[in-house]
Parts: sequence; structure tokens; C-alpha cells
Amino acid sequence: MTKQKVAIIGAGPAGLQSAVSLAELGYEVDLYEKKSRPGGHLAEWHVLFPDMQPAGELLDSLMQKVLAHPQIRLETGVNISGLEQAGKSWQLIQSDSVRGEADAVVLASGFKLFEASKKEEYGHGIYPAVISSAELETIFIREKEWPFEKTNKSPKIGLVHCVGSRDAKCGNLYCSKACCITAVKQAIELKKTFPASEVYCFYMDMRMFGLGYEELYHKAQLDYKVQFIRGRLSEASPSGAGRIQVKAEDTLMGRPLKLTLDMLVLMVGMTASVSPEVKENTVELKEYANKGEFVKIPGAVIGAAQWLKPGLFVAGACKGPATLPEVLNDARATALDLRNYLSGVL
Amino acid sequence: MATISSRLKADIRFQDGLKACMNCGVCTAICPAAAYFDYDPREICQDVQSGDESILIGLLKGEQIWMCGQCLSCKTRCPRDNTPGYIIQVLRKISQEMGYFVHSRLGRQQLLLKRAIGHSILETGYCVHPKLIRPETHREQGPVWEWVMDNAKEVYEKCGSLYYEEGLGGMRKIDSDTLDEMHAIFQETGAFNLFDKIEQASEAKAAEMGLSFSDDDDNEYLREIQL
Amino acid sequence: MAQLNWKSYQKEIPDDHFFYVRSCIRQTFFPGAETALLYVLREVLKKDVFEDKRHTTCTGIGFHSDVIPLETIMTVVARQLALMTEAGYKNLLVSCVTSFGIYLEILEMWKHFPEKLAQTREALWKATRREFEVPALLTHSSDAIFHFKEQILNKSQISLVNAESGQALKGVEHVGCHYAKIFPQDGIGGAEFPRVLSGLIEGWGGELIDYPERRHCCGFGFRHYLVRANRSYSISNSKIKFESMAPFEPEFILTNCPGCNMFLDRWQYTLSEMEGKTYDSRGLGIPVLSSEEMAGLMVGMDPWKLGLQMHQIAVEPLLDKMGVNYAPKAKYHLASSAVPLPQKPSVLLV
Repeated sequence: MTKQKVAIIGAGPAGLQSAVSLAELGYEVDLYEKKSRPGGHLAEWHVLFPDMQPAGELLDSLMQKVLAHPQIRLETGVNISGLEQAGKSWQLIQSDSVRGEADAVVLASGFKLFEASKKEEYGHGIYPAVISSAELETIFIREKEWPFEKTNKSPKIGLVHCVGSRDAKCGNLYCSKACCITAVKQAIELKKTFPASEVYCFYMDMRMFGLGYEELYHKAQLDYKVQFIRGRLSEASPSGAGRIQVKAEDTLMGRPLKLTLDMLVLMVGMTASVSPEVKENTVELKEYANKGEFVKIPGAVIGAAQWLKPGLFVAGACKGPATLPEVLNDARATALDLRNYLSGVL
Repeated sequence: MATISSRLKADIRFQDGLKACMNCGVCTAICPAAAYFDYDPREICQDVQSGDESILIGLLKGEQIWMCGQCLSCKTRCPRDNTPGYIIQVLRKISQEMGYFVHSRLGRQQLLLKRAIGHSILETGYCVHPKLIRPETHREQGPVWEWVMDNAKEVYEKCGSLYYEEGLGGMRKIDSDTLDEMHAIFQETGAFNLFDKIEQASEAKAAEMGLSFSDDDDNEYLREIQL
Repeated sequence: MAQLNWKSYQKEIPDDHFFYVRSCIRQTFFPGAETALLYVLREVLKKDVFEDKRHTTCTGIGFHSDVIPLETIMTVVARQLALMTEAGYKNLLVSCVTSFGIYLEILEMWKHFPEKLAQTREALWKATRREFEVPALLTHSSDAIFHFKEQILNKSQISLVNAESGQALKGVEHVGCHYAKIFPQDGIGGAEFPRVLSGLIEGWGGELIDYPERRHCCGFGFRHYLVRANRSYSISNSKIKFESMAPFEPEFILTNCPGCNMFLDRWQYTLSEMEGKTYDSRGLGIPVLSSEEMAGLMVGMDPWKLGLQMHQIAVEPLLDKMGVNYAPKAKYHLASSAVPLPQKPSVLLV
């Protein structure tokens, strides 16, 4: 009997883990990735919170399993734009032609980061010293240049929480969950890189929900002397010589404050990447630009199978902001549900 | 209209101006009044959001609500689409309607504004016009302004202004029919009611403070509130 | 709530047929600026700009001083619109920035609270027997200048370039708060990087200088100037701006709000008297011009008919740099026989 085939759209952490779990369950897996390399955002990060595990280690271990498994076929540079159902099987469409077929599909299209230049008052894209959290990761892993004088060993650095999140003016009211802990992590990394620096986190709340998070926040204050100011950043302006003047209110002290910084890091939130438009026999996979509507599982009930329709499963951060452990567990659980579906149990 | 809360909610500016404040502080960060006074628009929103009548009365009687400069920079930035500046407008309105404004030094200044700007609109059809800005009381306008006012008619006419003459052009003398229409509009829309409230509350306050009070430009109460 | 990038704030500005309403503050302090706007639009650009002498203040200053109720200002505004409707115009051209903000706010309020619009119609009818339509487009005078900036440049012998050295003149802008902070989508370029003045500076050959307090209010604060006891608020906020721009050595400040223009001009003088210093290196201060005045210079108007002699900060250094053809000695000349010159300030050079 020929093995049943599953197609996975997206080879980020959710897609990679889905592929491994499904192959281990005995399926043939076609793993499609639109970029030229797999890994999604994980490939762009330096170390992971809360334990500072190198992101590359996790990615390598996932990739090793994927490449080692004979049942997984990874194709990069393929953008699946739609799905068509023919009976019980699914056709995957790339640029109006059928790229492949499968007995079930996992949508693991992940997220996009909020485009920081849309939060105009922060000047991203205009002032070189204003960078996004993702750009900071790139500086770390590729050892790129800092946007301030090389000779400056004691830069003043600000990190801004909630950029593009919890913000009616940006059109995203939701909280992106992982930015607070990312800010704490990055603050510590910056202090490690520049021990003489002053690092300020401008926050509204400290969302330290995971185990190890609150401890990392404590460590950031105690061991690294990161300063936490409870006040959302209101604006960044050019202060001369490439420096940035920022304004916020220290709300706990009840007074406005102004600081001049050498670099400002914007914690950009996760936003939706792909929006599936589900019709009778087709699903169009549209790409969003900065809007916050993640993939909604119809009739979502806690613990129920995550599918848009029978056979079209959804895993990972494309459903909403999530951390890596959550995404990997979601991928594993979805694989089991998919197995139950294909064997007629579900 | 029993409670202050209900008066607030009845004003469309309040409905638009206060949805739900999450205390982020971006308003206070860029507020020029917060830069100058011990003033915090975020705290005002918190006070109003509490709905507590005794806190609200405190606001209406206090100095704080008169510190906002109405620049509306707060509206641009608020991530919850609130506008502290609109909330202030409604608080000031209610403070005057209920006569509470005379309890604060800054609030008592409303009489000056009513008599200067309010009267100017009715008498000339302008909020502000050259003769109101007397060099002797406005030294900050500088010596050139003094020269301008010494030679006003010629200077203004040189620049194409009518300088209080009838006709079509800048600083024209606005015709009496128009001023009558303005008068009628003020009557119809309650402006005179507000003017009367300001005068009456001020007069009562003057009596309480033992100061003389009149319609004239000069009386003890006016001098007191100028300080 | 839309996510807009500043470049995508496109505002529709009409090409012609404007109904013009004047500004209390501009008529008072800068009468030549309004003369300049009308000259540029009517004589130079051959546009139809209509003015009704029965129009009044919008009462915005009174409203923001909280002595004019919301319903009153709505009805006064409605009366202005009734005059516009009567004359058959659909494009309102507004001189004052506070006023511009008022018209925008009221139109927006009428959209979201139609009962207020009905109430206003009734009140206007009862008071004046007038009826009105809402304008199709709302344009500030600086919007118009921005819209026609290429044509103005084409008609000009000068620009924002140093006529001798060929260097671009360095300018900072100060956009009035009520121009775009209330409704960013109704200002060219939005609220964070408004384009209405920066576009003029760059479009006319100047070098635009940004400074940390660019977006900070000049500090008019309505009651904070109109009540004399409160003026320290106003001067303090202007000072924040001057301190911020001074290190960048701007050669001029460009404004669109008449109040801002007056304050940025006068407070430099007052601060020089109080603190013994100016914010430029030569003791002359930084000249402050409005977009109308700049446009007037560009099309060759005589600075002393433009009313630049009514500024406290001397404009001659800028005029000389731009290569404006003018008679320096005629600055304080009037039709009548020689009048005494203004007194010289004790610190500021004039």
C-alpha cells in the first residue's frame, strides 16, 4: 500500500516539526517553503529566551531530522498561493498551476513582523540609530556594525515595548506576547556586549508569563542594572550627531522624561502573514501587509483539532503570537490529529 | 443631569475623548502643559475614568483642568484613541456651568477671557484685534509693535489692510447686521447663558473675597484675578 | 486607525475657486501675509478667490478659551458655510490654523453625531434665517501654497538659495499643532512628518533641518497668552523649541500658523531681554516667516508692503541672502512725513 501523503506549507519551526512528527508517524511529507532557505524567523535569531540557548542549535537539530528522514521532501523557493480540493485529496497551487497533491495539508505559514516604519513617530527608516528587534538580532549573529560611533563603549540604548501592538493607531489592538521577554533578553545581551552601557526598557506592562521569564527580568535588573521605565515611548527625534532624543512619561513617578540615546531598539510585534480565504472547494492563501488578523480556527474549542476544514490543518504562529515551545508542541499535536483524520478516527 | 458623570457622558466630546485609558503615558510625554506645570493628562484620564463623584468635583474645583493648552498633541499619539484635550474641554464646561471654576486661581481667570474675547467677538466680530494688544500691557510684543500701534492706520493700510474701515479686506469694520446675527447666534445657542454664569459666579466669589466687582474694566476682583 | 506611511498621506487640494476666510491673529499681526496670499493666488496664479465681507471670526480662540460653547461655534461656523454656499463655492480656504482645525473637527463631529448637524441647522435658521451646505474640500492657506509651489517657483527670480554663494539656505519648520495633529489624514504628510512646509523649503531650494523639538507646541496655549498672568507657559514652551533648534543654526523658521509665527518672533525678543542672548550666532535672532510671506517674497512683492517690518526679528539678513530686491532704508517709511523709528531692543540687534 502506498504511504499517504501530507503537504506542509511553510518550513519555519512549525512546518519543520510538523514534517518530522508526520514522517515519524509514517507519512510521505512534501514540505514547501517560499523563501530560498528554511527555518523561518528562527534562522534570524541569536539566542533564545529564557535560557539563552543559541537559536542555531535548535534550528540545526530540526534541520538534521528533516534532512535525515527519507520520507520528507523539502522544496524551497516555492510559494503555494492556493489549494483545491478534488474529492478527499488536496491540490497545491503555485502560480495557477498544480505543484503537488496530498491527502492532507498543514498550513504553517508563520508570521510577519510589524513594519516599524509604520509607527512614524519613532523614525524607523529615517534615523539610522533606530532599529527593530529583528535588526538587532542580525547585528548579533552577523556581527554587523552598530549604528553609533565605534569608539563609543558606553552607549545609551533604549528598548521600546509594544511597537505595532496594543495600538489602535497602528490597527493592532492585541498584545504580541513575546516582545516583553525578548526585550529583557536583548537588554541583557546588550549589557553583555557593552558592560559600560546604560540600557532602558520603556514598557507598559512586563508580561513575564513563562517559567524563567520573571527570573530573567529580575536578573536583568540585579546583575545587569537594566533600567525599566514604565511609560510607553511617545516619540523619537534626531538629536544631532546621529543620536536620538526620546520622550516618555515615567508613569510610576508621574512626570514626563526626555533622554538622549545612541540607539533605539523597537520591539516589533508579530502580525499575520497569510490569510486563507476558504471557499467550497478552494482555499486562497493571500498575503497580508501589517494587518492583525491571524488564521482563525472556526468554532475553536480548547483542545479540539486545529483545522480550517477536514484535512486542512493549521499549526504554529500563523494562528497568533506564540513562543517556540508552544509552536513545536502545537505542531506535534496537530500531527497526531492529522493521523487520526487520515486513519478515519477523526 | 444629577451627577457630574452623567453631564460628562452627555457631551459628544467626552464620548469621543474617553474610551478606555491604559495609563501608557504617551500623552503626558509630549504635553507642553506637563513640561511646564505639575500637570499630568494621564492622571486626569485616570481620575475621570474612576467615575468617582468626589474625585470629579475635586477636578472641577481644582487648578489642574485649567493647565491644558489645547494643542491636542495628545490626540495624535494615544494608542487607545482617547483625547485628553477633549476631556479637559468638557470638564471646563461643566466647571463653569456648576460655578466650581471660581474655587481655583486659574479657573477664576475665565472672567477675564469672557470679558476680553467674548466681548470682542460681539463688539467687533473678531476674537482678537490690534487695539486689544496694548503695548503697555504687552511689553513682550516688543518695540516694533509699539511703533506699529503708534502709526497703526498707515502701517496697516500700507500692507493692504482696512484697519477698522468698512469694505472688503483685512481687519475691516464688520457690519452691524452681521454683528446682530452673531448676537442672535449667541442667544440661540446658549453662549449668553454661559456668559451670565461666569459673571454671576465671579460676582459671588468677589463678595466672598470681600472685593469690589463691576462691569467696568477696573475693579478689585479683576485686579485680583489678573495676578 | 489605518496604518499610513507619511508618504501616503495624500490630500486633495482644489486647483481653483476658493472661498476665503481670514484669521483674527493674522489680520492683527501680519496683515501683509493675507494680502500676499490673495496677490499670489489672484494676480500671479490667476485663481478665483472669493471673499465675503460679512464673514467673521470662527470664534476658535474663544472656544479654546472655553468661553464659547460647542453649539455656538458650530453655528458660527455654519454661518460662514452659509455665506460660502450663498456665493456658490465648495472649497473653503482658511487662513488660520486654529480655524482650520475647528472646521475639520466640526465637520467630523457632524458626521459622527448627525443630531448635532440637525441642531446646528435649526439654530442657524432661527438666529439668521440662513442655510448651508458642508464644503467639499477644506484647504489651509499653506496647503494652497504647497499645491502651487512649482508654479510659484517658476514665476520667481529668487529662491531659498544664497544668491551669492549658491548654497541652499538652512531652514527649520514649525507646523501649527491644529494643522495635522487632530486629523493626520487631513494634513499633507500627516502629523509626524508633515510635508506642507518641509515641501516648500525643499521645493524652493532650501535645506531642511530637523531638530528634536520640531513637533513641540510653540506654547500659545490660548488662555496661557490671552491671560497676561499666564504668559510664562507660552514663553517657556517656545524656549524649548529655540534651545533645540539653535545648535543646527537655521537661517530661518517657516510657519503656517499665524499664532506660532507671532510667538516665535516675539518670544525671541523677550528671551533676549530676559536672558541676554539670542538663538543665532550674530545676535540678530532667527527670522520667522509664514508660507504666505515666503511666497510673497518669491513672486517679488516689496517686503515692506508684505508687512515684514512688523516683525520684531530683523528679516533683512534673510532678504539679503535670498537676493531680494528691496530698499532697506524704506523699512519704516510711511506715507506721511518721517516718523520716529521703533526703539532698539537692548540685546537683540535689529
